[in-house]
Amino acid sequence: MEKLTVDADGKITIPPEVIQKRGLHPGDELSLVESAEGLLVYQGGVDDKTSAWWNSLDQEQRLLAETDARRYESLSEHDRDAIWNQDADSIEAEAERDEIDLPTK
Amino acid sequence: MRLALSRPPTILQVEAANSYAYIATITNRLYITEQTSNILKRRTPTFAAPILADTRPLKKARYLRRWARRLTEFAFSSEDAIILAYGSFGLNVESQTVGVDAIITTDNRLAEHYQRRNTEIKNRFDDMIINLPEPYKRLTLPQVVTTAMVLTFV
Repeated sequence: MEKLTVDADGKITIPPEVIQKRGLHPGDELSLVESAEGLLVYQGGVDDKTSAWWNSLDQEQRLLAETDARRYESLSEHDRDAIWNQDADSIEAEAERDEIDLPTK
Repeated sequence: MRLALSRPPTILQVEAANSYAYIATITNRLYITEQTSNILKRRTPTFAAPILADTRPLKKARYLRRWARRLTEFAFSSEDAIILAYGSFGLNVESQTVGVDAIITTDNRLAEHYQRRNTEIKNRFDDMIINLPEPYKRLTLPQVVTTAMVLTFV
């Protein structure tokens, strides 16, 4: 984590080693996000883990992924919520039958 | 999904993906709930397989729902209460371990609310587990950490 100092004009300077490491160039756009923890600076783009996954897919898998993504995108918000709310857990006492006893040692 | 459609991820997705990538480098004990696991198994394997391969589903140990009901008394929704209760009563059947160190969420309000009421929640939790049989007496509360906070550790 880098510590940056705000100058009198409200500007901050990103250390050169970070500029180099992140491949930033003059004119590149960064996003400043206000969060509960403070201000976060995002370069955007895709993280390495996601990139590695995408690059591991062959052409057929990418086409399948695209088809599925388009199908998902065409769903209404209600239909999308329905997918993610399937098998939603109840907190009621009547639902406790599937709870597992911890082993006693 | 957005990548498959040649669109850049949203900021929230960037935050979540980078946190996930970082956490995956420091631990192999990544868990999801049984419900999430079941939903992912019904999704296109191309998208779901990497997450299912990285994570283990937690089962519900006895008293998970009882604790979730107690948590709703602190103004958590039943959906959030279940997730928080998994943090203490979620059972990894393979390793026979219970609970997690931290729940990672993009929901800043949930994390803030949990933090603000933490002393009362801890008292309520201790009052509950002290009356339970031996293995449950050793259970603990998880931390609730936002994805933004995870990125400050990088």
